[in-house]
Amino acid sequence: MKNAKRVTLTVLVLMLTWVLAACGDNSGSNNGGAANNGGGEDKGDPTELTMAFISFGNMPDLELVQNEMNKITTAKINATVKLMPISISAWTQQMNLLMAGSEQLDLIVTSTLMNYSSQVAKGQLLPMNDLLEQYGEGIKSVLSPEILNATKIDGEVYGIPSTRDMAADYGVVIRKDLIDKYKVDVTQIKTFADLEPVLKLIKDGEPGVAPLVQQNQTQTVTEVMVGADYDVLGDKFGVLEDAGQGELKVVNYFESAKYKEALAVVRRWFEAGYIMKDISTSQETGPSLVKAGKAAGYVANMKPGFEVQESRNSGREMVGIRLTEPMTSTTNITSFMLSIAKNTIDENKAMQLLDLLYSDADLMNLLTNGIEGKHYVKQDDGLIAKPEGVTDTGYMLNQWEVGNNFLGHVWAGEDPQIWDKMKAFNEASIKSKALGFTFNADSVKTEIAAVTNVLNQYRVGLETGTLDPEKNLTDFNAKLKAAGLTKIIEEKQKQLDEWAKSN
Amino acid sequence: MKASPIQQALIHLFFVLAACACLFPFLLLFMASLTDQNVIVRDGYSLLPSKFSLEAYTYLLNDSSTLVRSYGITILVTIIGTAAGLAISSLIAYPLSRKDMPLRGVLSFIVFFTLLFNGGLVPTYLLYTEVFHLKNTLLALIVPGLLTNGFFILLIRTFFSTSIPVPVIESAFIDGASEFKIFYRIVLPLSLPIMATIGLMLMIAYWNDWYNGLIYVTDTKLFSLQNVLNRMLSDIQFLQTNSFGSNQSETTANIPLDTIRMAMAAIGIIPIMIAYPFFQKYFVKGLTIGAVKG
Amino acid sequence: MKHTAGQRAWKQIKRYRALFFMVLPALTYLVINNYLPMFGVVIAFKDYNYREGILGSDWIGFKNFEYLFKTTDAYIITRNTILYNGFFILLNTVLAVTVAILLNEIKHKFFSRLYQSVILLPYLISMVIVGYLGLSMLNVENGFINHHILPMLGIDPISWYSESKYWPYILTIVNVWKNIGYLCIIFLAAIIGIDHEYYEAATIDGASRWMQVRKITIPLIMPTITIMSLLAIGRIFYSDFGLFYQVPLNSGPLQPTTDVIDTYVYRGLVTLGDIGMSSAAGLYQSLVGFILVIVANYAVARRNRDQALF
Repeated sequence: MKNAKRVTLTVLVLMLTWVLAACGDNSGSNNGGAANNGGGEDKGDPTELTMAFISFGNMPDLELVQNEMNKITTAKINATVKLMPISISAWTQQMNLLMAGSEQLDLIVTSTLMNYSSQVAKGQLLPMNDLLEQYGEGIKSVLSPEILNATKIDGEVYGIPSTRDMAADYGVVIRKDLIDKYKVDVTQIKTFADLEPVLKLIKDGEPGVAPLVQQNQTQTVTEVMVGADYDVLGDKFGVLEDAGQGELKVVNYFESAKYKEALAVVRRWFEAGYIMKDISTSQETGPSLVKAGKAAGYVANMKPGFEVQESRNSGREMVGIRLTEPMTSTTNITSFMLSIAKNTIDENKAMQLLDLLYSDADLMNLLTNGIEGKHYVKQDDGLIAKPEGVTDTGYMLNQWEVGNNFLGHVWAGEDPQIWDKMKAFNEASIKSKALGFTFNADSVKTEIAAVTNVLNQYRVGLETGTLDPEKNLTDFNAKLKAAGLTKIIEEKQKQLDEWAKSN
Repeated sequence: MKASPIQQALIHLFFVLAACACLFPFLLLFMASLTDQNVIVRDGYSLLPSKFSLEAYTYLLNDSSTLVRSYGITILVTIIGTAAGLAISSLIAYPLSRKDMPLRGVLSFIVFFTLLFNGGLVPTYLLYTEVFHLKNTLLALIVPGLLTNGFFILLIRTFFSTSIPVPVIESAFIDGASEFKIFYRIVLPLSLPIMATIGLMLMIAYWNDWYNGLIYVTDTKLFSLQNVLNRMLSDIQFLQTNSFGSNQSETTANIPLDTIRMAMAAIGIIPIMIAYPFFQKYFVKGLTIGAVKG
Repeated sequence: MKHTAGQRAWKQIKRYRALFFMVLPALTYLVINNYLPMFGVVIAFKDYNYREGILGSDWIGFKNFEYLFKTTDAYIITRNTILYNGFFILLNTVLAVTVAILLNEIKHKFFSRLYQSVILLPYLISMVIVGYLGLSMLNVENGFINHHILPMLGIDPISWYSESKYWPYILTIVNVWKNIGYLCIIFLAAIIGIDHEYYEAATIDGASRWMQVRKITIPLIMPTITIMSLLAIGRIFYSDFGLFYQVPLNSGPLQPTTDVIDTYVYRGLVTLGDIGMSSAAGLYQSLVGFILVIVANYAVARRNRDQALF
């Protein structure tokens, strides 16, 4: 009796363990099965390559597209590709974890916005110079040496930028109906100061509508106003003035004259009610505020075709007013790249796949637009559109992340010449003298962490006009210095000088 | 036995006020999910929005396969995790509550220490993915949370050692009952309130967990309900505080609207509210000691 | 009969083998889940390089800890962390015990259960959503408080998200609102576990309800109160990240009264993503908690050995 009970309990515990184990095995083997599809035991089988990219939403049809892509890649380079979308908020952490482990990862999206230089310093990425020589014909025919140079760290390329806007011009987009209603002549608006009367007209004539907002809490009004005046050298801790056209002297952005002037203007606008009151804590984006009728327009980092993009996303026709020349710094080029991860199983194959993304239009169109007939249809004029009656197609990739976008079909509604205009835009831009310099923050990361905290305390408040610069700017700078900004600037100057010597 | 009618009335008054304070925000959340998106952006949340909309729920129904799958995963993980967690927690808590147990202090310390110190994310991740290969498995959603670092063990231990009279255990032992028999014939029936409490807490912990999913699961097919919701919420937050230059508006274009996020949050809470009364049934004193003895 | 030490130990093990067997599953789990990865604390003292791995990376001493003490804010975040959490431990315990006692006093089981369910609701809402709800209350332009409450009282609208002086109160209210329903369940379970005979005897002796609460209920749930407090003290350097980050909406001007160690570390490392520095922060938080809890446990043990943690 005594034993029987004990046995029952033991069995119960064992069963539980077994249930747990079985569960794991099940999903584990499913997963293993999927992984084996490509790997296989046979030597002649194609190599399966994993490509991680940033996703901003659901992609239910991912596997369909992947299968179509594999038909091309198997034929061309005897490899298949496994797409691995990782959501943006989990990206940095997931990359660190994947790289700490040994899980296969071949191509990954990298970006200066997400630690590119630190990933290189920490050994997450493979150098690509030799691979590029060997397999990179397609890439080299599309990307100029100047652009490839910009991705170099200590002389080695670690990432291949996607082709897109590699320069930025700054300005505002405003609802077209309001521009028409108040008969604003946008050609007469040349500077941010010229905007003021327009903002006043809207403020006085449209109660309940904020004349000006920003896209999100980081692209502040001030930042856009002075965007073309500085080469921010990756982060804003130490920048070059005059868009990097003068000498290579790193200065404190937050103490510079133009920044200070802009803060004063923005503060005046805020107090006059031209900028939305809740702007510094708003959880809504610029386009959604415009869509809801709460805002008339927002400041923006622009590019060719920007008006079409913003009209689509804010649900109203928008007019773009460009107020600066396009300017190129390293960040504009390194903001989205594909790199080969240290966890790759075959860096040669990975490079071959990467090269295909720059040379094979069919592959690139599959990846960025999906399957023809299912996710898009071709029109007579060569443009593409969503199939009739379909609103949500189940496949949507943010194409600017990866590969040669200029190979992609153009969506109806866009400028049919968009890619040519983009190329011209990139070529015409003012290039910073420090183009190609990437700051390695590793030796001053203690200071970066401390300074970032100070930045968070003041920046958004000051740059939206919510905080009074008279008093707060001095405090801000004092705290930045106490947190070690000077040391960062010195280190940056040192690295920049070394870079200038070898380039 | 109980308080006087006036005292009763005062207590009820207190709880009615407290209940209002707790219900109001939930109602606000629920109403927000029924509000027209543009109205929310323009006027904020309101109990009586100027324009209603079922858009959020039709959106969720249109993509019901995601919703149903994530619901299923959450339910499965919650049931297995709660049962297993409760079983192994109470099993270890009982010996630790026994004053005559050898090494009691050492074992308690071993349990307690895990509450404070851990190896950090990376070593734990490596253990689960490289040694046990739990990445992208359901088990990864269950195993890391089983004991929530010993917190529940210590709570159950305290209940056992304060509410189970030692003489009862001793007399049962003298009567020849085995330790296991004492445990589930005497200790467990006397401990229904704490079992229900810890069961409920484990259930809430599993139901609301998104962290393990964030770390161990990249395959969207294995996302639990809270993973799906949390991904939306953190993505939008990330995009608010990071600049994507000229592509900014494209990044947010695909993230579901406020109303959808609110609807997700609301339908994530309701099942727990339905399950709660089930646990409350056990919030009564277990069998009386006399009954156990007899 | 004479026994050697070995035989005595063997006898002990035999006598208690069933109990040791019960310990086994959880112990195995803790060893694997919690103790095996602990060698990873060395990351806090290393310049972690992904190609070299944990063991191969270079030792750099305490460099990863420096940023925690680097700014003038180091004092502020430590002060905020200790004051908030210390106060929360006290307040939450007192309120949760009170609520549990009151719930237990309610005659109608239906109402008692209804109240329990409803006050648990806030605990189930994600902090990010709580942040949204807070914004709908405190928004400058159309927030519920500025729009409806303050005009009634004749007070001018307040810019809640840029005035740090209000936030100690706001955070305390949100904390109580969110956690009491959950915490009181633990105490309620302990109260229900009390033998009814005690109350019956006291009623016969003519003790008032208040007397019974003071002399029976509180002393008998004291072990639970003690253990909950000790566990909370051990984690005093860890804060509820959601409360301090999501609810103030990461608003900069509020940092003087809302920044705690967790939010500081998060903000500082969100762009760097440095795992050495984040491990360092975790180790620092654990160590301080550990020292505090050892001291507190010692004090408890001196008064009553049985209520101590170990």
